[in-house]
Amino acid sequence: MAEENTAKVRLAEDSFGKRTEFDEIEIGAPLESMEWVVTEEDIEKQCRIDEDFNECYVLDSAYGTRVAPPQIQYRPPRWMLTRTYNVRGVFYKWEFESFKAIRPGEKIMVTGKIVDKWIKNEREFIKFEAIGHDEAGEKVFSTLRTHVLDMVERTAPREGSGIDSGHKPEKI
Amino acid sequence: MASVNTIITNDTPIGFELPPVARRFDVSMFAAGGMKTIHNDEDAARAEGLDGPVAVGPQVAALIFRMMGMCFGEGWIVGGRNAITFRRPVGVYDYCIARGVVRSKEPEGDDRMRVECEVWVETEAGEKAIVGTCSGLVAVSGE
Repeated sequence: MAEENTAKVRLAEDSFGKRTEFDEIEIGAPLESMEWVVTEEDIEKQCRIDEDFNECYVLDSAYGTRVAPPQIQYRPPRWMLTRTYNVRGVFYKWEFESFKAIRPGEKIMVTGKIVDKWIKNEREFIKFEAIGHDEAGEKVFSTLRTHVLDMVERTAPREGSGIDSGHKPEKI
Repeated sequence: MASVNTIITNDTPIGFELPPVARRFDVSMFAAGGMKTIHNDEDAARAEGLDGPVAVGPQVAALIFRMMGMCFGEGWIVGGRNAITFRRPVGVYDYCIARGVVRSKEPEGDDRMRVECEVWVETEAGEKAIVGTCSGLVAVSGE
């Protein structure tokens, strides 16, 4: 059992530079969009990570091929947030809806933007959305995410350098 | 064309308890290619104000999604909706159980029913780490 943390500073920077501050995040600002193709290997890895070997994800489905677990769409919007803002923080709320199955090899264009930000209990929250469309322009998924910028209260000073930047390789 | 048998159908009553899905986590599940992160490194986590490394939220939430896939099959893959809140961190060695209860059924279109479930993930200590709702679609005709 870990001892209670008494850290009283919010990190000012990490290996990717200065951490983005709450005031620098603009409601309505777009996130850097991305083209995303899920591979057979990505699906296999997602199944292993989640220990979810539903036959639709492993063998075949009513969609004519194996398809990806819907939660595979977690990563691209997080990558897009990271490309746009240097934020670590933690995940607070996750909404999504699946409109089409995610098939291996299909190209999905993902766009997103910041939709809200607020302060509650001395912590800073941001909310962003992302939507994936296939090459025919049909919606594949939509998602809304709420993220807490720091676990430490916003009254704490910003100083020091973090070990974990939040930046991760853009792969499943 | 394959079609998967599902647990939830149009005849499933309100109050039906979904089959739980459980897993014990291990810090090795949160390795990030050798990178030190808040999910695998004590110092990285404490620097961010956490008491220690925490499980990756989506990997914990995946217990709920596995349960939904089992219950709804293709009605989760297309038409599935998720709205969850991460209420408290899960430790990297914690045992967690996803549970759910059918709370409502509403027609959607001419031939489908949206079945909404209250869902949550609880730890071994009985604390709810994730709470929310998920829903999937079932055929009204029972085909």
